[in-house]
Amino acid sequence: MSTRPKLAAIGTTFYKHSHTQHIVDRFLDGYGWNGKHHRPEMDLVSLFIDQHPANDLVPERAARHPALKVCPTIAEALTLGTGKLAVDGVVLVGEHGTYPKTEKGQVKYPRYEFFNQIVDVFRQSGRAVPVFNDKHLSWNWDWAKKMYDTSRELKFPFQAGSSLAVTWRTPSIEMPLGARIREAMCVCYGGVDSYDFHGLETIQCMVERRHGGETGVKWVQAYRGAAFWQALRDGVWSRELMDACLCRSHTLTPSRPGFNDVFPAIEDMQRMVTDPVAYRYEHNDGLRCTMLLMTGLVRDFNFAAQLEGQRKPFSTQMYLPMPDGRTTVATFFSPLVNNMETMFLTGKTAYPIERTLLTTGLTAAGVESLYRQQERFDTPHLNVRYQVSKESTFQRN
Amino acid sequence: MLSRRLFLQTSTAAVAAAQATAAKPKRLAIITTIYRYLSHGQHMGDRFLVGYPFEGAWHKPNVQVVSMYVDQKPEGDLSGERAREFGFNVYPSIAEALRCGGSSLAVDAVLIIGEHGEYPSNEKGQILYPRFEFFDQCVKVFEKDGRAVPVFNDKHLSYSFDKAKAMVEASRRLHFPMLAGSSLPVTWRLPSLELPHGCQIEEALMVGNGVSDPMDFHALEAMQCMVERRHGGETGVKAVQYVEGDDVWKDTRYSRQLLSSALSRTDTPLGLSLDDGRPQDLAAPGVLQKLVAKPAAYFIEYRDGLKATLLMLNGAVTDFNFAARVQGFKEPLSTQFFLTPVPNVTYSACLMHKVEQMYETGVAPYPVERTLLVSGMLESCLTSKVQGQKRLETPHLNVAYKAAAKSQFAQT
Repeated sequence: MSTRPKLAAIGTTFYKHSHTQHIVDRFLDGYGWNGKHHRPEMDLVSLFIDQHPANDLVPERAARHPALKVCPTIAEALTLGTGKLAVDGVVLVGEHGTYPKTEKGQVKYPRYEFFNQIVDVFRQSGRAVPVFNDKHLSWNWDWAKKMYDTSRELKFPFQAGSSLAVTWRTPSIEMPLGARIREAMCVCYGGVDSYDFHGLETIQCMVERRHGGETGVKWVQAYRGAAFWQALRDGVWSRELMDACLCRSHTLTPSRPGFNDVFPAIEDMQRMVTDPVAYRYEHNDGLRCTMLLMTGLVRDFNFAAQLEGQRKPFSTQMYLPMPDGRTTVATFFSPLVNNMETMFLTGKTAYPIERTLLTTGLTAAGVESLYRQQERFDTPHLNVRYQVSKESTFQRN
Repeated sequence: MLSRRLFLQTSTAAVAAAQATAAKPKRLAIITTIYRYLSHGQHMGDRFLVGYPFEGAWHKPNVQVVSMYVDQKPEGDLSGERAREFGFNVYPSIAEALRCGGSSLAVDAVLIIGEHGEYPSNEKGQILYPRFEFFDQCVKVFEKDGRAVPVFNDKHLSYSFDKAKAMVEASRRLHFPMLAGSSLPVTWRLPSLELPHGCQIEEALMVGNGVSDPMDFHALEAMQCMVERRHGGETGVKAVQYVEGDDVWKDTRYSRQLLSSALSRTDTPLGLSLDDGRPQDLAAPGVLQKLVAKPAAYFIEYRDGLKATLLMLNGAVTDFNFAARVQGFKEPLSTQFFLTPVPNVTYSACLMHKVEQMYETGVAPYPVERTLLVSGMLESCLTSKVQGQKRLETPHLNVAYKAAAKSQFAQT
């Protein structure tokens, strides 16, 4: 009998450039990795997809991979008709698809609901296997916390999060473990309850390496529109770090016609960024971080931090080769999948689930602060403490 | 309120104070074929006018553009606008630009960008950009005025190796620093790979794309900046051959393992990946044959025995990827030369930083012989192309040089 782990994939929808497509295809078809076309040492044997729009790719994938069983329910995908858990790992991708929104604008992707169905099978089978959850755990903090608690209760390895934490960096640098960080920032782009999560993970995968480890977050304050520009002018966040982030971007919108790469003044930014959003937050150990969504100014994710004893900011870009015409296969999913493989092969998570638990809570708290007319939102529930190991898990080989 | 006179006195004093602490800016002449949005002239020249991102800060070179010569001014020309805004003159000749309208050389540095613009092509498909002619006019001023200053030449030195060689010889004769070439050797790499200095390279391969002769030059120079680090240094090229069409697939001179390794680095597989997003293995049997209607191979035999191959695979990828088999490493070493997105094209900032470094220190950060050799390799490959794709001995390409151990590509 083969000792290769068997995996089930549970997704919301599967079309070109949906997260499920990017992730599942890497298990089915392999991907470029470390100088080879790498084929994971495991078999994705079953697939449950919730929604099948006109551009659904499931029939094509099923036809080309006859060993892949397309299942009508999550339980079926996990049990393969045996009545009990029959796979060695689960990949849960609850991103894309048509789902209702909350009154706060969050898309109600059914990650928690899917997770519960997965866990039901675990409980009924008296056995649990490693689970990967794409992006944040849930739009709802309480549910996210339950997911986390359940994984602890049933003692299964649980990994989650964004590609930003594991993709290429330009430059290819890592936050020194134990660094004393005064302030940290990410300048990125995209929408609320969407790319804000990626920006928060960009920051968190770096600052979690600081002296004393992660201590959790005390409060979150969002700024949007006029309040954003006022905060920028008032120096609420470090202008030096913001400039450092902008100087790591490869996609700075030219602020003057006829110039291809010119540094923008605040007035230029105001003209180009019509809906700026900032989440400013303080960790329990006093570290303050800011995530800036500046759609219209940049189309990438840039990180900067002020480290004690260093004159210049520590800065880099978390590089996403976006399939926007310039690239074709969103290769940032490769390190995400590769880190899943590590978990499925070793039974140990490649990085702590607490990172994504915290960024899930931060995302929801940012949304909450925006919803409450940008008032500061205290987050005693985000007392998430953890310590990372020294090893880096981002793509660099 | 400050009176205008007092304001002027104050600001003059401030400028004088600033100059006393900082070194005097280098006076730069930009000599270019064309200065239109996103031409090399514009995106490289502008770096000295508005600065550029470097190591996480917006860097303003201590360089003052004092003059410009622009050979062609079609619609969209920006040189006049730039001259007005930044306070320099566009002169009708290169000599006048170098002398800033005066009687002797009045600049500390020259930037020659002979790329883009309307110029004829020869029978080999080489665009006859007047780089040699521009350079030669600079050299004539240097000779006449008894002083020479550092010169950067964008891309290959010339379509003609003889002309390229004459350029390098002039720089040696007149003892001025000279730097040239492509952005690819100095841009970011994914991963951030450098070959160990002095390593024994068994074979090297580059996958590129685009039209000849702009893009094959970039690919050849990217490959050269890797292999020149090998044991014994660069020895020159013994022979080259250009092959295109189905013969490329049949040719046994390049390693399929290296091809597979280079292709594994791409972010731009076309074909099925383009259709439905799947990460296709381009090196799987028959895939490239299906995607690439007109493959081209540039076979390079070095004088020390190293063999290297450039495959131009239009239809398969749109990026530049390298692989080499190196003694002591079980698996091939491979990387992508990362051409950052348009319009920022920050790779040209990486290149202009090297140029600035030469202007500041008077020392070229890497040898111009690299670009001389690649200029000659390219010319000979294209000669092979029009001479029935036959192998050509290249005794004239005995360009030997040593690359410094220090890496020059963007990694900080």
